Amino acid sequence: MTTIFTRNDKGSEPILAGNTPAAEKSDAAPGSQNALPTDPLKHSLASAQALTSTASAPRGVSVISRALKITGQLESSEDIQIEGLVEGDVRAVTVRVGPDARVHGTVSGDEVELAGTVDGKIEAKKVVLTSSAHMTGDVVHQDISIQSGAYISGNLIPDYGKSESNVQPIKAMVE
Amino acid sequence: MFAQTRKKADPLDQPPSHLGPALKVTGVLDMDGDLYVHGAVLGRINATRVILAPEASIDGDIVARDVHIEGHVNGRIFALNVTVESTATVTGRIFHNTLAVARGARIDGRMPWRPPSYFDTLTQLPEIRL
Repeated sequence: MTTIFTRNDKGSEPILAGNTPAAEKSDAAPGSQNALPTDPLKHSLASAQALTSTASAPRGVSVISRALKITGQLESSEDIQIEGLVEGDVRAVTVRVGPDARVHGTVSGDEVELAGTVDGKIEAKKVVLTSSAHMTGDVVHQDISIQSGAYISGNLIPDYGKSESNVQPIKAMVE
Repeated sequence: MFAQTRKKADPLDQPPSHLGPALKVTGVLDMDGDLYVHGAVLGRINATRVILAPEASIDGDIVARDVHIEGHVNGRIFALNVTVESTATVTGRIFHNTLAVARGARIDGRMPWRPPSYFDTLTQLPEIRL
């Protein structure tokens, strides 16, 4: 007997289990057209946690990889590591700008470590400019360390936390 | 951009990006490779693969080859392969070629099917209809 409830049972039950002829058949048609490696995503419907948690970065740290370009603002109450390109302002607790990274805008936080290029402004309690740093713009800081080889074009202003409006502690902003 | 025809392994060789749970991004994200989002994004996402964790919240369009959703999306999705997990909440249209929806997922919107060729010409689309 076939009813609307039973006629698809053969196909629908194994789909929930994940790997079945029915599931593979539905995936196979578009898959063969694209021939792209989509396996992790396909199988994840049954094992969703594996995809997000095993491949996850260490908790709390955001990584902007070198293939990522962000146009806009980033705001975090945790740490950010930038290896890519950011056109806009970055605000976090600890910001690390990697050797090949570029930021056009203001980078602010408790601690900013620069190994790449910043075109704009840095506002941080503690600023570290490594030997590969390229900084164009002002640095507002309380505590700065500059390695030999770092390029700075701009003013170093030791006023972080003292001056009034524009520099606010990160915690007040986020939350 | 997503629409370019690239060599197979190329985009996924790139190191993935992770946007942590405390991170809020306002603007456009343009990425070659995997993008893991645990936080909030207000704006458009463009990547090869987008994986949205349960705590992720997206307000804006997503253009990608593969999209895996466990979190909240408010906006349109343009992707060849879309997986919507049971924890997901999606409001908006899902333009897809292959779609998998887990039991328990909340979807409010249409889910138009498109041929793979549609996604090759996607470069202009989101801008025009945004």
